[in-house]
Amino acid sequence: MLVFIVRRVIISFFILLAATFVMYLLTANSGNPLGDLQESRAPNREALIEARIRLLNLDTPAPLRYFIWLKGAAGCLVPFALECDLGQSIQGQDVSALLGVAFTQTLQLVVAATVLAMILGITVGIVTALRQYSGLDYTVTFSAFLFFSLPIFWVAVLLKEYGAIRFNDWLADPTVPITVAVVLGAISALFWMIVIAGDRNRRITTFVAAFVASAGALWLLSETQWFADPGLGVVVIAVTAVGLAFLTTAVVAGFTYRNVLYSALASAAVGIVCHFALGPVLDDPSSLTILLLALVTVGVGVGIGYALGGLQRRQAIQAAVFTGLGTGALLFLDRLLGAWDSYSDRVNGRVIATIGARTPNFEGTFWEEGLDRATHLVLPTIAIVLISFATYTRYTRSSMLEVLNQDYVRTARSKGLAERGVIVKHAFRNAMIPITTLMAFDFAGVLSGAVITENVFGWTGLGRLFTDSLRAVDPNPVMGFFLIAGTAAVVFNMLADIAYAFLDPRIRLS
Amino acid sequence: MSNPTTPDPGPVPAADAATDAQGMTVVARTQAQMVRRRFFRHRAAMGGLIALVLIVLLAFSSIGFASVPGWWDKDYFSIATVENGGRPTLSVVPTWLGGSGMHLGEHPFGQDNVGKDYFALTMRGVQQSLTIAFIVGLVGTVIGTLIGATAGYFRGRIEAVLMRFTDVMITIPLLVVAAVLGRRYGDSGIVVLGLVIGLVTWTGLARLVRGEFLSLREKEFVEAARAAGTSARRIIVKHMLPNIVGVIIVAATLAIAAAILLEAALSFLGFGVQDPDTSLGKLISTYQTAFSTRPWLFWFPGVFIIAIALSVNFIGDGLRDAFDPRQNRVRD
Amino acid sequence: MTNPSMPIGAPLPGPAAGGGLDQPAVTESAAEVHVATKLEETAGPGEKEVLRVEDLTVSFPTDDGLVRAVRGVSYAVHEREVLGIVGESGSGKSVSSMAVMGLLPKSARIAGKILYRGDDLLKKSAKQQRALRGKKIAMIFQDPMTALNPVYSIGDQLAEAVLSHEIMPRKKALARAEEMLALVGIPQPNRRLDNYPHEFSGGMRQRAMIAMAVINNPDVIIADEPTTALDVTVQAQILETLVQVKDQVNAAIVLITHDLGVVAGMAHRVLVMYAGKPVEIAETDRVFYQPRMPYTAGLLGSIPSLEGNGAGSRLRPIVGTPPSLINMPTGCPFSPRCPLATGICREVEPPLAPTDELGHVAACHHWDKLAEVDDPTVFFRTESEAV
Repeated sequence: MLVFIVRRVIISFFILLAATFVMYLLTANSGNPLGDLQESRAPNREALIEARIRLLNLDTPAPLRYFIWLKGAAGCLVPFALECDLGQSIQGQDVSALLGVAFTQTLQLVVAATVLAMILGITVGIVTALRQYSGLDYTVTFSAFLFFSLPIFWVAVLLKEYGAIRFNDWLADPTVPITVAVVLGAISALFWMIVIAGDRNRRITTFVAAFVASAGALWLLSETQWFADPGLGVVVIAVTAVGLAFLTTAVVAGFTYRNVLYSALASAAVGIVCHFALGPVLDDPSSLTILLLALVTVGVGVGIGYALGGLQRRQAIQAAVFTGLGTGALLFLDRLLGAWDSYSDRVNGRVIATIGARTPNFEGTFWEEGLDRATHLVLPTIAIVLISFATYTRYTRSSMLEVLNQDYVRTARSKGLAERGVIVKHAFRNAMIPITTLMAFDFAGVLSGAVITENVFGWTGLGRLFTDSLRAVDPNPVMGFFLIAGTAAVVFNMLADIAYAFLDPRIRLS
Repeated sequence: MSNPTTPDPGPVPAADAATDAQGMTVVARTQAQMVRRRFFRHRAAMGGLIALVLIVLLAFSSIGFASVPGWWDKDYFSIATVENGGRPTLSVVPTWLGGSGMHLGEHPFGQDNVGKDYFALTMRGVQQSLTIAFIVGLVGTVIGTLIGATAGYFRGRIEAVLMRFTDVMITIPLLVVAAVLGRRYGDSGIVVLGLVIGLVTWTGLARLVRGEFLSLREKEFVEAARAAGTSARRIIVKHMLPNIVGVIIVAATLAIAAAILLEAALSFLGFGVQDPDTSLGKLISTYQTAFSTRPWLFWFPGVFIIAIALSVNFIGDGLRDAFDPRQNRVRD
Repeated sequence: MTNPSMPIGAPLPGPAAGGGLDQPAVTESAAEVHVATKLEETAGPGEKEVLRVEDLTVSFPTDDGLVRAVRGVSYAVHEREVLGIVGESGSGKSVSSMAVMGLLPKSARIAGKILYRGDDLLKKSAKQQRALRGKKIAMIFQDPMTALNPVYSIGDQLAEAVLSHEIMPRKKALARAEEMLALVGIPQPNRRLDNYPHEFSGGMRQRAMIAMAVINNPDVIIADEPTTALDVTVQAQILETLVQVKDQVNAAIVLITHDLGVVAGMAHRVLVMYAGKPVEIAETDRVFYQPRMPYTAGLLGSIPSLEGNGAGSRLRPIVGTPPSLINMPTGCPFSPRCPLATGICREVEPPLAPTDELGHVAACHHWDKLAEVDDPTVFFRTESEAV
């Protein structure tokens, strides 16, 4: 295994080296870096041209110039001993410094969205595979095709208009007219009817129940002016947490042996108690506090699972930890929404942002700043999720269907294993093998995906740096961007191989 | 029909009669017939095919192409006076439904800010986008197949070199390399743009074809052809490629769908089609800020991009189902 | 669903004469299987019925029409009995046993009764069915290469069979798994628990499958072509292991195969299936020496034999193919291939009816013609032979 990894690392290194060379030549060839100066009428034109030639070593032919660049870039390999020199932009800024700033922005933008798209896509993919040829399957299949036929920038413009501009307008007087509540209720009822399926009676019951619940809830929320100052409240948190406990139990162990469920419920209960107990601590915490609380949650979950798990201790620990973290996330969301009112006032009611990563010069409590970031992330995240979740859905679905037809799944059923175990343990685990590769590829590609998203939503991340520099024929930042994107691609491809070997024992041992 | 375990089949007199007597309805179908039958039964794919054909016909017949004139009386570059704020005159709601009747009007898709006919402009965009996507798909498929087939068939050093080269190219994100190339060749016309982008979109297919070839070359019929002294070129072209033509066609179709979106993205970023020409992506890019005031400038090209990409994706899906023999099983 | 040619022909040498198991185990450790005591009373079948199938029909809707895979199967299995079900691919033998296991896809339309100790499984809830599956009725599949999950260790997969029916500490389940691996003759079972399926040979994997099937002490084991995918040398060992293990856990076996040689040495009774229906049921010896259905006779004629007597050493294949299960011809489904077929055979499908001995039933209008000759395969003589 170690030999395999070392070999893989060495190969990857040389591939990256070759790729940078190709990219360097292409970039050098992409335009005339002196173009703007040659057309300018500045009196010191000649001197400026001369200066830029020296700055970018333009008197050296491109293939040789690559080695000058490489020599500087080599310094980046040894973080502290050598200086990381990726050259300078035509404005004379240090590229490595530019990249550092842009990189953090891009990560904020893409990581959450990509993870969300993966979780959603894989879940929906599994469900549609289990319900092949159902109404849900057809609906999801059609939506998936629609979504990956959408240009992301086109979606982005729509999102900005309806998700931000008009939504913010509506927030000024957030009431839902009764007709709108009815229409939305009907849409939601239709959705649940397709998801739940079943025979005719069950469909009708589902439709009616979902319609009444959704339309009623909307009407209630509108009447109580909830949209003006949203929050979850302890009742909603408690109900959701208990639901979460049942859900995690259903996935990790089933209900035949109750101890797992008890652990999950205990975990949820502890979470709800914390809602009251931790009040003052959470008024204006630091990120570190939140992180510590998350760790404590995991610890408490392990403890509960260990104590209550009985014969299914492992499953109980899993259920307790996931329920605990889920409840924690609910509490976090509740607090975040608690800052809504004051935040809304401070940004003049324009809650959902269309541009940038945060409101310039905005300072406030932890929750206000958090909400500020969240509201800036909402639209780009939706756009990214919409587009890339479709791929995961399709891929997971076909992978699951393939695996569900395998003999060993039949064997698992013939043992009398419950359907939950057949799906989660046997089918899903095997279906994940190809999906892991896709995930790694996708992570490798998110940086380039950010190119468009950042341009549409006005984030000044790596993608924006790339397009701006390319437009200005500024080769060094372009290469800097590629160095990061290329390294990511190579590293994640390598991780895909290693993960593959880890997931599939047939490869692991050979 | 004779039993294969028989050492010497001898005369099997009643075999044919027996088959007939059973009244069995075994309809012999060739591979191609099966594929065609499955494809035509695929409703989404047929819908996609019809939609795509209609779009292509509309785009190329309306404003004409090259020097062939079309039936639409306006062109996409003439500046005119903006009438009625450039609003679209297209109406599809019949009068009996309370609409203003079904008619095209003077400017069915409206006009842009300098009075160009937006229908003609959109049709021009469709033409350009389709042409680029088609060239990209074609070039990428041909190169990918060539490289993959060569690597998979010859193995050894040739394979190592070709596949390492593929690894290198795959490391460069497609949008990035396409943008760099588009920056350089965007103003050289759409054919050149399509060609250079096609030059970098073959990597996935090359890997796919290589994988297929690696397993195919171990098959008996290839061994037999080789033992008979058939030339490598002939084995590849005559014996092996026909076996994976399905894989290639499906990949090519999906590559075209991806190329539509890639071109749109490039033009949106400004690294694609350049003025004075236009494409769907460029139209959206140009008019995205006009959305709140003149939304039609944004809607029409967008709807066409989605319609084209969706149709091509559905066709690709139908082809995949049609070529995949596993789909032929009893539904279980 | 129509298989053009049937791969009949037993690779085991001379089984028609009676018993592949009489061959000494060739290699590996089959001989070392420590079956300590082979109790006298466990050897033969008991009086009580454990499994009874009544008029079972299974059909699948497809794009081309309804495939009638099983068209009315009835049989009973007694305690400790070995029932052989013989037929070619597509005869419905596997589908009917999958129906017993409750493993058919949801699209399958199942009718009839499947009684386990008197309870109809088809009337039970999914949960109740699951509780019996693997616990009381276990199954061994054809291809051990694909029947085990490649990503879990053998011990894991065996323990899971225990844990599916009983909550207990994992360690205890693993200990039970180790015990079972020893029972089926896998050397060093303790070490083998941590192995993955790909580290096992085909024969070892099938042993592991047997271990998995008997780990919960089932009453019935359904073995679906358990040796078909294995090397000839290993086949006999696996069958021997199966018999020994069955005696250990006191289970009955439903042995499904296309290979009469496999059945010959093991089964107490044999059920022959053709085109989704049983066409003959009898004691094993009767089937081999006095078949009363031409199809069975035809199967016997296509077994290669070492002790050939002149023309008899020649294989006598059944010409033609089984009928389509979608458009079943009228009359006896075997009539198009049958040398004895007459007008009535093409019009009336014969029911299973008693023949010249008690308990021997056959579905043939002309079973008496077979009773008239010594060598029933004679009807399948090819023309070149007859000359």
